Amino acid sequence: MSVSGSESAASANKPKYSKFTQQELPACKPLLTPGIVIGAFSLIGIIFVPIGLASLSASQEIVELIDRYDEECVTASDKIGFIQDSKANKACTRKITVPKPMKGPIHVYYQLENFYQNHRRYVQSRSDQQLRDKDYKDPKAVAKACDPEATTGDGSLIVPCGLIAWSLFNDTYAFSVNKKSVTVNKKDIAWASDKNSKFGSNVFPVNFQKGGLIGGGNLNDKLPLSEQEDLIVWMRTAALPTFRKLYGRIETDIMASDEITVVIQNNYNTYSFGGTKAVVLSTASWIGGKNNFIGVAYVAVGGICLLLAMGFVVLYVVKPRALGDPAYLSWNKEAAEYSH
Amino acid sequence: MFTLITLYSTIIPISLYVSIEMIKFIQCAQFINNDLNMYHAESNTPALARTSNLNEELGQVEYIFSDKTGTLTRNLMEFFKCSIGGEIYGTGITEIEKGGAERAGVRIDDDEDKRSATAVHEKGFNFDDTRIMRGAWRNEPNPEACMEFFRCLAICHTVLPEGEETPEKITYQAASPDEAALVAAAKNFGFFFYRRTPTTVMVRESHVDRMGSMQDVAYEILNVLEFNSSTRKRQSVVCRFPNGKLVLYCKGADNVIYERLADGNYDIKKTSREHLEQFGSAGLRTLCLAYRDLSMDQYKSWNEKFVQAKSSLRDRDKKLDEVAELIEKDLILIGCTAIEDKLQEGVPACIETLSAAGIKIWVLTGDKMETAINIAYACSLVNNDTKQFIISSETDTIREAEDRGDPVEIARVIKESVKQSLRSYLEEARRSLSNTPERKLAFIIDGRCLMYALDPALRVNLLGLSLICHSVVCCRVSPLQKAQVTSLVRKGARKITLSIGDGANDVSMIQAAHVGIGISGQEGMQAVMASDFAIAQFRYLTDLLLVHGRWSYLRLCKVITYFFYKNLTFTLTQFWFTFQTGFSGQRFYDDWFQSLYNVIFTALPVIMVGLFDKDVSASLSKKYPQLYQEGIRNTFFKWKVIAVWGFFAFYQSIVFYYFTAAASQHGHGSSGKILGQWDVSTMAFTCVVVTVNLRLLMSCNSITRWHYFSVAGSIAAWFLFIFIYSAIMTSFDRQENVYFVIYVLMSTFFFYLTLILVPVIALFGDFLYLSLQRWLFPYDYQVVQEMHKDDPHEYSMIRLPERSHLSPEEARSYAISMLPRENSKHTGFAFDSPGYESFFASQQGVCVPHKPWDVARRASMKQQRQQPQRTGRS
Repeated sequence: MSVSGSESAASANKPKYSKFTQQELPACKPLLTPGIVIGAFSLIGIIFVPIGLASLSASQEIVELIDRYDEECVTASDKIGFIQDSKANKACTRKITVPKPMKGPIHVYYQLENFYQNHRRYVQSRSDQQLRDKDYKDPKAVAKACDPEATTGDGSLIVPCGLIAWSLFNDTYAFSVNKKSVTVNKKDIAWASDKNSKFGSNVFPVNFQKGGLIGGGNLNDKLPLSEQEDLIVWMRTAALPTFRKLYGRIETDIMASDEITVVIQNNYNTYSFGGTKAVVLSTASWIGGKNNFIGVAYVAVGGICLLLAMGFVVLYVVKPRALGDPAYLSWNKEAAEYSH
Repeated sequence: MFTLITLYSTIIPISLYVSIEMIKFIQCAQFINNDLNMYHAESNTPALARTSNLNEELGQVEYIFSDKTGTLTRNLMEFFKCSIGGEIYGTGITEIEKGGAERAGVRIDDDEDKRSATAVHEKGFNFDDTRIMRGAWRNEPNPEACMEFFRCLAICHTVLPEGEETPEKITYQAASPDEAALVAAAKNFGFFFYRRTPTTVMVRESHVDRMGSMQDVAYEILNVLEFNSSTRKRQSVVCRFPNGKLVLYCKGADNVIYERLADGNYDIKKTSREHLEQFGSAGLRTLCLAYRDLSMDQYKSWNEKFVQAKSSLRDRDKKLDEVAELIEKDLILIGCTAIEDKLQEGVPACIETLSAAGIKIWVLTGDKMETAINIAYACSLVNNDTKQFIISSETDTIREAEDRGDPVEIARVIKESVKQSLRSYLEEARRSLSNTPERKLAFIIDGRCLMYALDPALRVNLLGLSLICHSVVCCRVSPLQKAQVTSLVRKGARKITLSIGDGANDVSMIQAAHVGIGISGQEGMQAVMASDFAIAQFRYLTDLLLVHGRWSYLRLCKVITYFFYKNLTFTLTQFWFTFQTGFSGQRFYDDWFQSLYNVIFTALPVIMVGLFDKDVSASLSKKYPQLYQEGIRNTFFKWKVIAVWGFFAFYQSIVFYYFTAAASQHGHGSSGKILGQWDVSTMAFTCVVVTVNLRLLMSCNSITRWHYFSVAGSIAAWFLFIFIYSAIMTSFDRQENVYFVIYVLMSTFFFYLTLILVPVIALFGDFLYLSLQRWLFPYDYQVVQEMHKDDPHEYSMIRLPERSHLSPEEARSYAISMLPRENSKHTGFAFDSPGYESFFASQQGVCVPHKPWDVARRASMKQQRQQPQRTGRS
């Protein structure tokens, strides 16, 4: 006992062994050897090119027709005056010829350019609580959230308040194919989560667009906000100043060389800030709308990787790099220089 | 405008500070303090990190300032070898010889049990040779010389015996441990000095008449010619044998003795000279022994002069010296002794390794120059190929000036000579550097000259010369000068400096350097209290610097550059978004994303790198000390390195923002619904978190399971967070913006395609860079990694010392054969005379006895005192 006791006292300060404290944890030591480099590049190439081609072909199948109409639909020289004149007839007829057969459903979008839905003041000017809760009537909080479109001139609260709702897009499109009118289905154009949770089914518009300045479209006072899908779509603000928003769907197929007539009620004022407007008709596939970007990026990266893999193979043949050759060590190089 | 600027506040990594403190703390508390390689079992002392903010500086040290006694040496003198009548006795191998043999690839076993039965190892005596132990010397070729040798050792000294008069119990009180070692040697050879009276020395002599005989002999001491000044370098005793024979025994420095030898006996002189050189280059301290038979007449006439000189009132010392010259001539050489100033274990090997690592080692000691040079030899700081530049105050011109005695004049002379030698040495050193760059240079200066060399006017030259030289030895320096030299290099060269010492006199030096190291586990605590790190042995510096320091440096460089990269990447995505919002200052990310980015989603993996990343294992770090130079050159924290990280941060942020934004446009899913701003930002943020975490794995040299856990955990934490965060709706801070965003995203193909595409493109550039860099311009550590990539895991290979298959005799002879032989100059005289003990005391105006006799008497008055006087302690 005493012996072991004195032994333990003699080494009382001896650190305990553990792999952690001795820094000997088992570890994988990846080395970027030529094999791994070439392999990794090849692998990325082999995986990426097919994905890219698949995306690209899906995107290519989609037929997309874009018709910019903001210029042509206003013939008056004073464009802003015209668009602000509520009496003027703003109907405008556009004809589009379909180059390829379009299989329903055909999505109808409006596309705005140079419209900064992501501007800080704009993005913040909304009250989500008000949108979903009919009893939310705290004037101060609403005023703070929705400035400068929180109340009408006489101080009564606006529902839905804020700049975003106030500037609701209000051009309308009526389509006919080969002189035969087709209906635009405006149901289910907003994400379900917005409709179900963010916009209340018992919240109705109040005092909307009753202020001095009219910003955009009006709403049906009889419909709850959760039914007003145009508003819901609009209020999911876009990330970029050029954006599309879903207007509706045409459920029928359209044949090649059919002529689509669009009667546009050109109400929305993009003229005062130099924005453009366009109507877009597009089919959809699994990838969504027409977007070559992802496909091209995949193919390009995959291709570059394959090229690099080949380049490294050539480099490996032309200028072989012996692994772990002590001659590469800097002190050996210095010594070699001395000896010369 | 202000809003816009605050958006970019994330570029300042506030969590960096906390992370680094945490990493450093764990590195110290867990790794350094618990390293078994730095645990000293004999003194039961582990290493101790007393501060945690110098870890990375340990990896960049370029200059080490070391104390000598207690740090490099144990202040233990041991009689190790001798040469009697042209024959070497003593079979021990010094550390330096072992080092030489090991460098040549042979490992020498010196286990105690392998030594012969006659081997004795006691205080002051570590000797083994059956040929002369236990009276065996009688059978040697010249037993007479042996007998004289032993008698000289037993008689010619100023040692006082203490305690019981038996060989086992007796202790010797000596002014210097060298003397005690010599007398102890005589005892072990059978000439036991056991009593001293004012006029006699009692010696119990064995085996003189025949084997096994023993007799007590009283030698009458007639005169003692002391070892009192630096010019004499010798000590003599005139004694009368019981039969009336008069003999003068003398011991001293080889050059002094050789000058006074009688003609003839050239063979012995020559071989002894060779032996002296051999001892000297093995780092041993040598003394020559000689004797002279005196006739009564000779003695009587001389003694008159001696008495006269001794009783003179003026210039007594000088006169005594002159009288001594008259009798100390026509000596007959007996042989020489070699005493080992015991180095701390593993010191030469450690210094060898540190030098190979590009670290320059300066020895700052209070000892005299010979001792310091000797230790420099013993530590392989200096060898016979080294060109030495010596600035000493012991030159003839200075001595002349001292004799004249005018302090102002002395100062002027010293200053002038220091100035001249500095200038000429500097020129010579530069020439040598350009002509023969591989030749090692050493600079040796003593404290008095250093005082003048530190003068602002000469300081530049001093620094220039010191920095060119590979090793610098400063001897007889005061504690203050130690600190001055340290800060000279610290401030003048702007290099990382490290001081190591064990005593109170090293405190100022330890505090002056960037990193201060105290030797712990010994009596004094002052050095440890003043230090940043405390280790038990000098040799643990290898582990502390080459392993812990290097790793800490690498890890912290990686942590800091990575922090810079990840925050820059993140902030730049925000920056690109600003262009698309009309510079309105809209945030790209939700506030919580931004706040938690550094705290949760990217925090842990980088700490894992700070703790666990290892480029090469500990044993390889020590096997390739040159890797340490990457730290000295600060290879991993240069503008170039930061610029590369910055460039890839820039590239990646462009990929994150523009690719995500471009891919998000137009409808998604077959329903053709459109994503909004928060969908895009959440997508981009997901890509950032995934990429930044994967990028960390790419830069790791070793990936433990903790890396996997932390990286996977961080990414999982993000998803967990966003799953919960976007499923709830609160009215706080526009949190509704991201309501259900992730679920919407995950219902589209866009999410998955982008999640694969964007990180791969973002990391593509880094991967290409890393591949090309390793392929075309590999770092040293990468080459070493490749050389040892197939090694078994490290913990199976450490602590398996290689054993040689040589027998001890073969190993010994091999080690001796490895010694440099060619016309060596250094003979290793470094007898510590007690006069130096009072060096600093007298400088400070304290009067202390400095005669060996006085010191010896003082020691004898304190009967209880067990410890011998520690002399030459710096």
